[in-house]
Amino acid sequence: MDVTRVCRTGAVFAMTMALLAAAPALAQDTAPTKAVPAPAASPPDDGAWAMPAKNYASTRYSELDEINAGTVRDLQVAFTFSTGVDRGQEAAPLVVGNTMYIVTPYPNRLFALDLTQPGAPVTWTFEPKPAASAQGVACCDFINRGVAFADGRVFMNTLDGQTIAVEAGTGREVWRTKLGDINKGETITMAPLVVKGKVLVGNSGGEFGVRGWLTALDAGTGKIAWKAYNTGPDSDVLIGPDYKPFYDKEKGKDLGVTTWPPNAWEIGGGTVWGWIAYDPELDLIYHGTANPGPWNPEQRPGDNKWTGGIFARNPDTGQARWFYQVVPHDLYDHDAINELILLDMPVNGTMRKTVVRPERNGYIYVLDRATGEVLSADPYAYINSSTGVDLKTGILAMVEAKAPKMGKVVRDICPTAPGSKDWNPSSFSPRTGLLYIPHMNLCMDWQSAEANYIAGTPYVGAEVRMFAGPGGHRGELSAWDPVKRAKAWSVKEDFPLWSGTLSTAGDLVFYGTMEGWFKALDARTGEELWRFKTGSGIIGQPIAYRGPDGREYVAVLSGVGGWAGAVVVGNLDPRDATAAKGFVNAVADLKDKTTKGGTLYVFALPSKR
Amino acid sequence: MTARLAAPSPSPAGRGRDPCAALGEAKLRLPPAQALLARKAWEGEGKVFPRNLALTLPLCGPLPLPPGAGEGAAPWRRAALALCPLALSACQGIQSALDPAGHQSGRIAGLWWLFLAVLAAIYALVLVLLLIAAFRSRRRRSLPPGPAFRPEEPTERRLTRGLTAWAVGTAAIVLTLTGFSYAVDRDILALGHRAELTIEVTAKQWWWQVKYDDPVPNRSFETANEIRLPVGVPVRVVLKSQDVIHSFWVPNLHGKTDLIPGRVNETVIVADREGRYRGQCAEFCGFQHANMALDVVAMPREQFDAWRESQLAPASAPSDDRSREGQRVFLTSACVMCHTVRGTTAASRVGPDLTHVAARPSLAAGTLPYSKGNLAGWIADPQRIKPGSQMPVVDLSADQLQSVLAYLDGLK
Amino acid sequence: MSSPCRRSVSLAVLAVLALAACDREEREPRGAPVGESGPQAIAQGSLYAGEPSPPDPRRQEYEGNAYHLAQGKQLYVWFNCNGCHSNGGGDIGPPLMDDTWIYGDSLENIFATIVQGRPNGMPSFRNKIPETQIWEIAAYVRSMSGQTPTAASPGRNDSLNAKPAEQRAPKAEPKQSNPGGPQVEGRQ
Repeated sequence: MDVTRVCRTGAVFAMTMALLAAAPALAQDTAPTKAVPAPAASPPDDGAWAMPAKNYASTRYSELDEINAGTVRDLQVAFTFSTGVDRGQEAAPLVVGNTMYIVTPYPNRLFALDLTQPGAPVTWTFEPKPAASAQGVACCDFINRGVAFADGRVFMNTLDGQTIAVEAGTGREVWRTKLGDINKGETITMAPLVVKGKVLVGNSGGEFGVRGWLTALDAGTGKIAWKAYNTGPDSDVLIGPDYKPFYDKEKGKDLGVTTWPPNAWEIGGGTVWGWIAYDPELDLIYHGTANPGPWNPEQRPGDNKWTGGIFARNPDTGQARWFYQVVPHDLYDHDAINELILLDMPVNGTMRKTVVRPERNGYIYVLDRATGEVLSADPYAYINSSTGVDLKTGILAMVEAKAPKMGKVVRDICPTAPGSKDWNPSSFSPRTGLLYIPHMNLCMDWQSAEANYIAGTPYVGAEVRMFAGPGGHRGELSAWDPVKRAKAWSVKEDFPLWSGTLSTAGDLVFYGTMEGWFKALDARTGEELWRFKTGSGIIGQPIAYRGPDGREYVAVLSGVGGWAGAVVVGNLDPRDATAAKGFVNAVADLKDKTTKGGTLYVFALPSKR
Repeated sequence: MTARLAAPSPSPAGRGRDPCAALGEAKLRLPPAQALLARKAWEGEGKVFPRNLALTLPLCGPLPLPPGAGEGAAPWRRAALALCPLALSACQGIQSALDPAGHQSGRIAGLWWLFLAVLAAIYALVLVLLLIAAFRSRRRRSLPPGPAFRPEEPTERRLTRGLTAWAVGTAAIVLTLTGFSYAVDRDILALGHRAELTIEVTAKQWWWQVKYDDPVPNRSFETANEIRLPVGVPVRVVLKSQDVIHSFWVPNLHGKTDLIPGRVNETVIVADREGRYRGQCAEFCGFQHANMALDVVAMPREQFDAWRESQLAPASAPSDDRSREGQRVFLTSACVMCHTVRGTTAASRVGPDLTHVAARPSLAAGTLPYSKGNLAGWIADPQRIKPGSQMPVVDLSADQLQSVLAYLDGLK
Repeated sequence: MSSPCRRSVSLAVLAVLALAACDREEREPRGAPVGESGPQAIAQGSLYAGEPSPPDPRRQEYEGNAYHLAQGKQLYVWFNCNGCHSNGGGDIGPPLMDDTWIYGDSLENIFATIVQGRPNGMPSFRNKIPETQIWEIAAYVRSMSGQTPTAASPGRNDSLNAKPAEQRAPKAEPKQSNPGGPQVEGRQ
C-alpha cells in the first residue's frame, strides 16, 4: 500500500472493478463453498447508495475498501449535520451523484446536502407537513426508515400515511398520494422500494388494529397500480392462479378469512413496515407481513393468515407466488418484517437461490426464493419459547408452557416481543461470506388481557416486562456463516443493538450502540478496530459511499429512539416495568447513558494534503 | 316475564300456565326525565306508550307442580303438598335442581333424594330414641332414692354392644353415601369424553360472555347471557372469569362450578329434553350478583344448527333511514367504546356483543326480558334498573335514543 | 345491677359506638345528571387576571372516593389509556406517574385533556365517554402520582404488578406547570 495518495484512489477503484468482474465468474467456476448475493439483484458498486438496503439483494455491503483494517484507526469526522429533530433516527442516508438525502422522523423533513462543498451545506429542504396527531398512533416512536431514489426523484413516506415524490434536483413536490388513515391507526414508517417504475409502500399500525397492506404506486403519477391486503378474502390478498406455495398449510381458499374468528381479520394487522427485496431474475418481490392483532393470542384462534409470514409477489400485478407463514397464530408479537437477503449458496451440496431472514423468533431462516421451501432454520440467539422448525411441514414447534394465557403471568419467555432481532437490518459481505446480525439478548414476562378495539387507540391486550437474557448482556453482534449454518464470532454489547450494520470490502463491519458509540470491527475476527462516541445513541443504518472527491465516506445518523430508545425520547418512567410495552424495564439505565439527538455524522480518512 | 320471551320452542306440556300472572308483577318506575326520553322514543315508533314505563322483572318462575301431582298421586302426598306449597316451590321450574332436565342434574337429584330419604329416616330414628330416653329418664326420676347406681355386668355388656353397633352402622351409612356420591361424580365427569361441542363462558361483573368454539376459527362466534344447546348432546363448558370469583349454575342441568380468575375450569352439561332454563351466578360477586343470570335454551339439533348459522352472520345492515341514523349514533357515541357489532367498526369487548342482541331472550343478564320498551328503559337509565352495573347513563337526546333503539331492535 | 352485668352493658354500648364507624362507603353509580356540562375552571397557565377561579368542587367528590378511583382504574384499561400510557410509565404518550404535566395537573385539566384531545397525538374522547367516567379516569390519573388521599387510592393491581399500587405511590409534586389555581383544594 505504498502507492502515492494521488494514485491510491484510482488504484482502489480499478481493483474494485476487477474484483467485481471476477467475483461472479469465480463463484461459478470453482466448487461453490461460499454464499454470494443474487447476481441480478446486486449490480457492481458505483459508489452511490440509492436505497437503504444498498441493492435489491439487501446486502448493505459496500465494495469500497479505502477504509480497511489497516487504515480505520485514522478514521475521523468529515462533517456533521443537525437534523433539528431529536427523535429516533432510524433512516439510512442516501447518496446519489453529489447529493446526500436524509429524512428525519416526524415531521419527516427531507434534506438534500451538497457533497461537493466543504461541510456539505443544505441544497434544499422539503417539508411535507404531516398531521401532528399521527404521533399518537405511531406505536414505537415516530421514526422513518428512509427514502428511496429512482429516476431523478426521491420517494418518501410520511408518518400520517402519505407517499410523496420529490424532484431530486430541486426539492419540488411532484405528487403525493394519501394511503393511510390515522383515525384507523394507520401510519407509514417503512422505507419505500422502487421496482420497475413502481413505488412499493406498506402500512404500519399492527398495535392499532389496522388491516395490513402493501401497495404499488406508479412512480410517475402516484396512482395506485395494485394493493394487496394481508388479511381477508383471496381477491383482496391478490392470491390467484399463480399462487403456488410449497407447504400444504398455506393452501386453501380464503384462508385470510377462515383462519380468523368472524370479522376479526378486518382489524387483524399483518402490516408491511419492514423491508422488501427484489430478484430481477425471477421477477419476484419479497416482503414480510407483521404481527396479527391484538397481541393477546386467545382473542384470535386460528393461524391468522396472512400475518407473520413472507410473501413472494409479482411486482407488476401484485399477484402472490408463494407464501410461508413463519409464525402461524403468533403468540409474541413476532412481526415477520425483518430484512430479506437474497443469496445464492450451496445447500446440501447443490447451489440454491435462497432468501435469508434472521427472524424475530430467534431463527435464521433460509428459504428457496423460487418456491418458498424452508431449507434450514437455525437458532442464532437464546430461545426457550419454541423448539425448532420441521422442514417437511414448515411448522414451528412452540413450547406450551411459555404460551401466553389470559389472567396469568407467564414468566421468562425468550426471545421477547421485539424478538431476538427487530427491524434493524443485517449486512452481508461476499468477501467473508458472513452475515452480520445486530441482535438482542432479552427475555420477558407476559400477561395477556382482553383487548378492546376502539378505532384510533391501541389494540394490544398484553402487559409485558423485559429484562436481560442469560449472560446479562442485552445486545450482541453475531457473524453468521449461512453455508456452515454456524456462528463465526460474536461480540456482546451491554445495550440491545437497535442499529443496522454495514459491511465493506475493507473487511470492516460498522454499527452503532444505544450509548452512542459508532464502532468498526474486523469482519473476519470481530476484533474492535475503531470507535467514536456520537452525540446520542445510534439506532440508524450506516452507509458507505464514494464522495465527489473519490474518497470513501461512512455516514450514520445518531439520535436514540425507536421502541428500544423510547425511555429516552419519551422521557418515560422506568418505575413502571410495562412502560413502552415492557422495553423500558430492560433499558432503564439508558437515560443515564445518553440523551436525545438527531445528528448526521460522516467519517472519512484524513485527506492529509 | 317468561311468557313474553321469544322462546324458540314451546314449554313442555303440562307447564302451560303462567303463574307470574297470578303472583303479580314487580314494577320499576323510571325517573321522570328518563321516562320522558323513553316515552318519546316509543311514541316516535307510532306505538302507544304505557302510562308509566313499567318494567317487568322475572321475579318468579312457573308455579310449583311437584312430580306426579295430578296424576293419581297418593293422598298423603297430596296432603303434604297442600300443607307446604312454599317449601316445595323450588321443586319444579326453570331454575330448580329438583326438576332435572339433564343427565348430570338427574344424577345429582337422585343423589339428593337418596340423601334426603336416608338422612330423614335417621333423623326420625334419632328423634324417636331421644323421646324414649326422655320418657325413661322421667320414669326413673319417680323411683324412690336408693343406693348409688352401679351398672351390672350384663347391662354394661349390652350397652357396649349397642354402642358399637350404632357406631358401625353410622360409619357404614356414611361410607355408603360417600360411595354413591363418588359414583355420581365419576359418572358426571365421564361425560366429558363424549362432548361434541365446546362453549367458553367468561364471567364478568355482572354478565356472561359466551363463546361457541369451532375447529374452523371463523365458525366460532360470541354471544352473551344466553346458551343454546342441542338436546342430547354433551357440551363441554370452559369456565373463565375476568374479575372476581363467580359460579356457573344452571340448576336444571348441572351442579355448580366456580369461575376463578387466572384459572380455567370445565364442566359438561347435557340437556335431555327441550326447554328453557335459567342459570344464575352462584357465588357472591358484588353489587349486582343477584342480577347475573343467563338463559339456557335446549333445542332440537336442526333448530340449534339454524340458530348457529344465524349467529355466525355479521349484523344485518340497517334497512331504513331511522336505523341508519341509529347506527351512526351508535358508532359515534359512547356505545362504541364498549360493545361489538360485527360488521361495523364497533369491536370493543367491555360489554356484551350486540351483533344479534334482538334475538336474545333477555337484557342485562336476565334482568329484563327482551322487548323494545325494556331496551329503551335500559339504555335510558341502566343505573336505575341495575344500580352499579358497568353500563353508564349515556347522554342521548330522545331522537337519538329512538334511532339507536330502531337500530338495535333490527339486530336479529 | 351486678358488676359483670354493668360491664357487659358498657361493652355493648361501646360496640354500638364502634359500629357507627361502619358506615357504608358512598357510591354514586349513576353520576352526574344527563346534560351536565364539564368543568368551568380550566386554565392552561398559572397566571390569572384578577383573582384565580375557584377549584371545581368535584375534586373532593372524585379524588377522595375509593369507588370512583377504582372505577377509574378499570376504565383506564378498558378504554385503552394503558395502550399509550402503560401503567403510568408512558409509551406513545407521556408518563402519568411523574411530576411533569404538559397540559396541567389539576383534575379539571386532565378532564379537559381527555375530552378535547391534544394536538400531538392525544385523541379526543368527546361524546365517547360519559362525563362521570371521565372524572373517574381523571381522578385515577392523579392517583398514579400520589395526588389523591392514600386511603382512597387503589390498593392493588390486577395485572403483572408492573409497579406498586397507587396507594403506595410517592407523591410527586407537580413541576413545570401548575394550572388550575392555587394548590389548596382536592389535595391531601
